[in-house]
Amino acid sequence: MGAYLLRRFLYAIITFFGITVATFTLIHSVPGDPISFYLGHSGMPSMSKATIAAIQHEYHLDEPLPAQYLHWLRSAITLDFGRSTRDRRPVTERILEKLPNTLQLNGLAFALAAAIGIPIGLWSATKSGRPAERASAVFFFLLYSLPSFWVALLLMQVFAVRLGILPLFGMTSDEYLDLDAAHRLLDRLQHLVLPVLTRAYAQLAIFARFSKSALTEVIRQDFITTARAKGAGEAVVLWHHAMRNALIPLITLLGLTIPYLISGSVIVEQIFQWDGAGLLYYDAILSRDYPTVMGLTVATALITLFASVFADVLYALADPRVRLGESSR
Amino acid sequence: MMWRLTWRRFRRSKLAMFALVYVALMTLIAAAAPLFHFEPDAIDLHHRLAAPDGAHWLGTDELGRDILARMIHGARVSLTVGFLATLISVVVGSFLGAMAGYYGRAADWIVSRLIEVVLCFPFLFLVLGIVALFRPSLATIMIALGLTSWTNEARYIRGEFLRIREAEFAQAARASGARDARIIFRHLLPNAIAPVLVSASFGVAWAILVESSLSFLGLGVPLPTASWGSILSDARSHIEYAWWLILFPGLAIFTTVAAFNVLGDRFRDALDPRSM
Repeated sequence: MGAYLLRRFLYAIITFFGITVATFTLIHSVPGDPISFYLGHSGMPSMSKATIAAIQHEYHLDEPLPAQYLHWLRSAITLDFGRSTRDRRPVTERILEKLPNTLQLNGLAFALAAAIGIPIGLWSATKSGRPAERASAVFFFLLYSLPSFWVALLLMQVFAVRLGILPLFGMTSDEYLDLDAAHRLLDRLQHLVLPVLTRAYAQLAIFARFSKSALTEVIRQDFITTARAKGAGEAVVLWHHAMRNALIPLITLLGLTIPYLISGSVIVEQIFQWDGAGLLYYDAILSRDYPTVMGLTVATALITLFASVFADVLYALADPRVRLGESSR
Repeated sequence: MMWRLTWRRFRRSKLAMFALVYVALMTLIAAAAPLFHFEPDAIDLHHRLAAPDGAHWLGTDELGRDILARMIHGARVSLTVGFLATLISVVVGSFLGAMAGYYGRAADWIVSRLIEVVLCFPFLFLVLGIVALFRPSLATIMIALGLTSWTNEARYIRGEFLRIREAEFAQAARASGARDARIIFRHLLPNAIAPVLVSASFGVAWAILVESSLSFLGLGVPLPTASWGSILSDARSHIEYAWWLILFPGLAIFTTVAAFNVLGDRFRDALDPRSM
């Protein structure tokens, strides 16, 4: 167990360096002037040569690239990604300000998707090959193939334009501040419905398909045949023998989808003008606000890394074969 | 032999055959579009936002441009990106996967770490970032997509190579003095490529979905070139009444993506009947 974890953490550190080097290289290979990179285009023409040199020195731009990388890395480790070129505020502060809105929207959507998708997937694994299961598999395939921005437009068209029962976009109504607490909650919930639905349906299909294949994989194995052969009832076989083992890959899946909560949210936040981290990223790339782009990318990659290490540790705790090092990886 | 058996099993699925015909038809229309003298960019201000009728089967947009003509040209964009981006990821993924699986040790270690790094990046952030910062164009979209989605292919090829590199036919080739390159490309790769083709079919679906999302966000192929996503993007300002601007391009994306997903799924079933 100890050796396994040690190796896992070591790899995580290497991956972390890979992520930062890749991001840094990518940003620095974008055509353009490195000063405008840190300051934005607006401040440039009015500055004297001396000012520019001072700024270059302040941001270490007069040093070679590897040295610049180390400076950047030193601050990135402490989650300091510099200041936004748009409003000069610290990038970390801007991210933390928007993150709760993104987590609220996506957390609800993913909880909904998991609560519906996983039971359906497990059910269809036990009914493999029957007409109802075949039909539901095709249905999930179609659901998964729907472009989310189209679904959003259709939902807006039906519920906001035709029926007029839900708001078209935004997080709150104009008169939000005049409402009392109960109506504020209601107002927010109304604004959440369409974005949450847009975000949930595809994830539902993914959860359903993944949990189905996880359980199917287990049911196929010899120890299930053995359990059946010694006369265990179907319910015991499923609940006692199969389900426990199918839950292990599900843990990994849930761990790996956490970071997708943030980056996958760009489209829905842009359509519904939801003031979260996804919209922040979209605005940042349009205005070429490099520190924000870099900060959000690295921060999300780090969350992914943590989530995957965490999932692997859970996996090792749940599966003795991994813990005892029998597995090849 | 294996391929004929697979094809026979594949043909049994009506849905799969339907998807295959649909994809072939779409590709044909997209490829033949220049022959028909459509004018997707022709502006006609007298017929702005016209509902579907005899003159414009699928209606017109805010500049009076014919939606059908724009959608056919959109199919060219979507399918080009879909096929070429997938080609890039198959080539890159197969090469790295083959290196890792065949040589093992250091090569395997490096490729595995590389896969971990790519998988840790927030996919949509990365693609949006690359496309926006290096200026949106057909080429940047394909490269951004190709370079971020090769990991599945690499993992499949690596796994297959680990399984078959010591198989008798590989040992026989080695014993008869074949060089590494010959063993990899002539003997091992053809035997390992099947799961990659499944993943490539899903990959085309995925690439089309992402391309249309990028165009929808205004970061796709530059205007006025028509693409399915950009027609939908224009539709947002007319959501109150111009339903045809929303319905048809969305249906085109949905059906094409679904067809490629069905192809991949049924192909996988045909390769491995146990998984059905």
